[in-house]
Amino acid sequence: MTEQERTGSIIRIIGPVLDVRFQEGSEPLIKTLLVTKTEPPVHIEVVQHHAPGVVRAIALEPTEGLYCGVAVENTGGGIQVPVGETVLGRVIDCLGRPIDGLGPIDAPLRDVHQSPPSFMLQRPSTTLFETGIKVIDLLAPYPVGGKIGLFGGAGVGKTVLILELIHNIAKNRGGYSVFTGVGERSREGTDLINDMRESGVIARTSLAFGQMNEPPGSRMRVALAGLSMAEYMRDEMHQDVLLFIDNIFRFVQAGNEVSALLGRMPSAVGYQPTLANELGELQERIASTPHGSITSVQAIYVPADDLTDPAPATIFSHLDATTVLSRSIAEIGIYPAVDPLASSSRVLEPAIVGDRHYNVARRVQETLQRYHELQDIIAILGLDELSDDDRQTVYRARKIQNFLSQPMHVAEVYSGQPGCSVSLEDTISSFEEIVDGKTDDIPESLFLLAGGIEEVHKRYADMQQEAKS
Amino acid sequence: MALKGELYTAGPFGEEQIESVKQHFTKLLGQEVSFDVKQNDALIGGFLAIIDGKVYDASVAYRIKEAQHALVTNDFTGGAEIAAENVKLTGSEPGQFHSSAKDIGATLKKRLNTFENKSAVYEYGVVTSVGDGVVRIDGLSHTRYGEQIAFDNDVYGMTMDLEVDGVGAVLLNEQDSVRVGERVYGTGRVVEVPVGDEVLGRVINPIGMPLDNKPLNAARYRPVESPAPRIIDRQSVNEPLMTGLIAVDGIIPIGRGQRELIIGDRQTGKTTIAVDTIINQRGKHVNCVYVAIGQKLSTIAQIYETFQAVGAMDYTTIVVANASDCAAMQYLAPYAGCAIAEQFMYDGKDALVVYDDLSKHAVAYRAMSLLLHRPPGREAYPGDVFYLHSRLLERAGHLSEERGGGSLTALPIVETMASDISAYIPTNVISITDGQIYLEPELFHSGVRPAVNVGLSVSRVGSAAQKKAMRKVVKKLRLTLAQYRELQIFAQFGSDIDSVTKNILDSGDRLSETLKQSQHEPLQMCEQVLVLYAVMNDYLKEVPSPHVRAFQKGLLQYAHRNYSAMLDEIEETGDLTDEQTEELRACIENYQLTCKA
Repeated sequence: MTEQERTGSIIRIIGPVLDVRFQEGSEPLIKTLLVTKTEPPVHIEVVQHHAPGVVRAIALEPTEGLYCGVAVENTGGGIQVPVGETVLGRVIDCLGRPIDGLGPIDAPLRDVHQSPPSFMLQRPSTTLFETGIKVIDLLAPYPVGGKIGLFGGAGVGKTVLILELIHNIAKNRGGYSVFTGVGERSREGTDLINDMRESGVIARTSLAFGQMNEPPGSRMRVALAGLSMAEYMRDEMHQDVLLFIDNIFRFVQAGNEVSALLGRMPSAVGYQPTLANELGELQERIASTPHGSITSVQAIYVPADDLTDPAPATIFSHLDATTVLSRSIAEIGIYPAVDPLASSSRVLEPAIVGDRHYNVARRVQETLQRYHELQDIIAILGLDELSDDDRQTVYRARKIQNFLSQPMHVAEVYSGQPGCSVSLEDTISSFEEIVDGKTDDIPESLFLLAGGIEEVHKRYADMQQEAKS
Repeated sequence: MALKGELYTAGPFGEEQIESVKQHFTKLLGQEVSFDVKQNDALIGGFLAIIDGKVYDASVAYRIKEAQHALVTNDFTGGAEIAAENVKLTGSEPGQFHSSAKDIGATLKKRLNTFENKSAVYEYGVVTSVGDGVVRIDGLSHTRYGEQIAFDNDVYGMTMDLEVDGVGAVLLNEQDSVRVGERVYGTGRVVEVPVGDEVLGRVINPIGMPLDNKPLNAARYRPVESPAPRIIDRQSVNEPLMTGLIAVDGIIPIGRGQRELIIGDRQTGKTTIAVDTIINQRGKHVNCVYVAIGQKLSTIAQIYETFQAVGAMDYTTIVVANASDCAAMQYLAPYAGCAIAEQFMYDGKDALVVYDDLSKHAVAYRAMSLLLHRPPGREAYPGDVFYLHSRLLERAGHLSEERGGGSLTALPIVETMASDISAYIPTNVISITDGQIYLEPELFHSGVRPAVNVGLSVSRVGSAAQKKAMRKVVKKLRLTLAQYRELQIFAQFGSDIDSVTKNILDSGDRLSETLKQSQHEPLQMCEQVLVLYAVMNDYLKEVPSPHVRAFQKGLLQYAHRNYSAMLDEIEETGDLTDEQTEELRACIENYQLTCKA
């Protein structure tokens, strides 16, 4: 390609969307990376061929200060990010550039746009892994190699839960992890990197960040950058990889921000018409193959606490396990604020988790469901008007509700209480005791923020001791 | 073919002079040029030629304006192209505009020198349509995105859409004086505001014009939009920013560099918390910026008076886009306020900015977007309304020591409708900030002021930044309150209350009383420690809850009279040693004795 064929010039700028004119016949292909000849250069990615000679592109960096007529060069390829061993312990942005101040990365490069593994390579998930968090392990267990979603409105504790999962899983497990920060707070990025450096987890983790201060193009592509690093670990290094994405909703949101400017008609609630496709292309790449597996934990922001919003509604269908965080539970001080009735998992079947686990989980849910139904009656008639059976259900349900809370390691700074993990076995037997009525005489406040049931027994014994003395 | 142009001269030009200008342009443009000559004394000296959509300004007036600007800005944003044309036109070297603040004298001299014999080429466009504050302009094809453009009569605009055949822009002031056919000039720079110590104590609008009838001579300017500090340039929040309110400092503490949202219905005391916080920064070396967006001027005037009365204007700037200002001005206001506060941060100082409020800001942006024909989404807000606030609030933070260690704390305010915090804009902003202070009308009306709903309010980083002394006394505060609230609801259902429950309820009552506080009466950290220590350690057991506040007031007075050394020490060290705890205890017990006597 001659210099002339490679060079175009900007003819239109609307926010993060640019039109660039090239010589007719030498328009760069869709998904090609272009770069402006300015100081500093601005990287842009082609998304449409708009007219002969004219391509429409999304800027991956701020466009303030650009003007029509600026020369643009075709780099001849798409966005590539460094992958593999040398990227472990490093932090990159959506263009694969290191942003941790530790110098350049010498590593193989991989295109961020890839096809998902074919039908024959799919390996569905059937085993579960322990998270050490009671409510999750019992009611919505996570499958190895599956896609897990943490849904929650603003400020109900998604990021804290994802950090706790990193703490519990990534730390105690040998394998590699990838963390992708998509459109979240920069401050969280700083804190996460510092924490990981302290705990040493960073040596086995690659990180990619495109936070909420960056233009939409960057937030859209950084999710793919993180995914590409995880894919390489799965396909070339044959690893079982953990992929954390905080927050996948921001990927959809970034697409929404540029959609109208690209000239597309808005769809439901103003979202892009391509919502389902964009998401499908990304989610289908997160898969497990005979070479290795990617277990992904994705935080999903629920705009305006509305689970029927097109973005979370579309994401739901891609997931194997969903943990729903609810504001009404956070309000009464129960953390993690997991809604035990709205969360679900594809692996909570007797054939996979075993009869005992399955039965305890279902009985816990039934008790909570009954309490839920009785709440209106209590509000009108008072607790004393209930039948003895129902009253017992209420008391047990309240104990279960309190016992579903758990002190978290990463929340120690706020709560002042050290965190704890509970093994699956302990979780099952603890809840079994409660639903069997073995703890009926223990006051419910002792169940709040406890680990296993032994801790509750110990608190009760201490209390009785105190009462005696 | 000869080009036709206009030539404006300062004073009468002779034939000879005009001929030499003509020859100059003929050489420059490679074409014959003919002029329509007019005289314009406002140019002071030199001339100004307009040929083929470009303005060639070699007037003294322009030089003065540019010299003035270059002297006060850190960064000349004029394009390379313009500089290059300068060389061609005047034969002088392109300017050296970057400042090294180290040697200001030399820099100023150098800058003045570069402005001798200077002239510029800039473009102009013609207004093709104007209405609702939105202008379409033909020409101006080399304008930058976000550039400030100038109309006649000191009217300014900002470019929003750059198209093949023209420019879309929004007007920033005097919407009604622009007409079709009018000429518009690019200024070569993005919208900027004055920054630095000169703006402290001042009231300005978002484009830096003073509103308090005093001249403003700032030494530095800063673009209103600038990128947020990168992840690697930050450090964790580790210094508290005391609001002086027990309810906030005790339960939802704020750290320097944090973004804490203040959210609630109208008339629940949102602004009061922000104003009290600014007042409490007196003597704490925190420079404050209060940004009023879409508010009525009388309210702002009242806040200004409050600040002046307590001496808070010494370290505070007020940025105003009032309710009658156009949407674009209201849109710019928080960015302008942020730029002012941000400069303090990059100078290594601590700053606090209050955005009052972002719901009106979102509404202004919605108006602007719809007028620019961008499609509406949820609640008719444009798709990038999240980015609107995220890029603003991300500019707050705590810089790493290598970057000077400055901090910028942001207190955005959002107004809810009918206590619905799960509406679109409130949840958007909650998902950006590091926590929220939720104010409830029910609490407000039942006399709990500040009307903080402790259950829904959180602070994600502040507790890590709390001083040790505070941390020690508030250890169980949150949990006690949570249990209290839970039991309160359950106790209403009428089942029997045992003595343990009754105890929790009683101490909860007293604790709630403790958290009440009047307007503009901030408490110092040591005072908060004393009060909280007393209530958390059951010293108030015999005080009925209506008398709790009186008891505390007395206790504070007593402590200031008899134990001021201890209070000062706690304030200074921020720690609570065993000895000090002992002394605290003695102080409270002695006071109890005097009460009984």
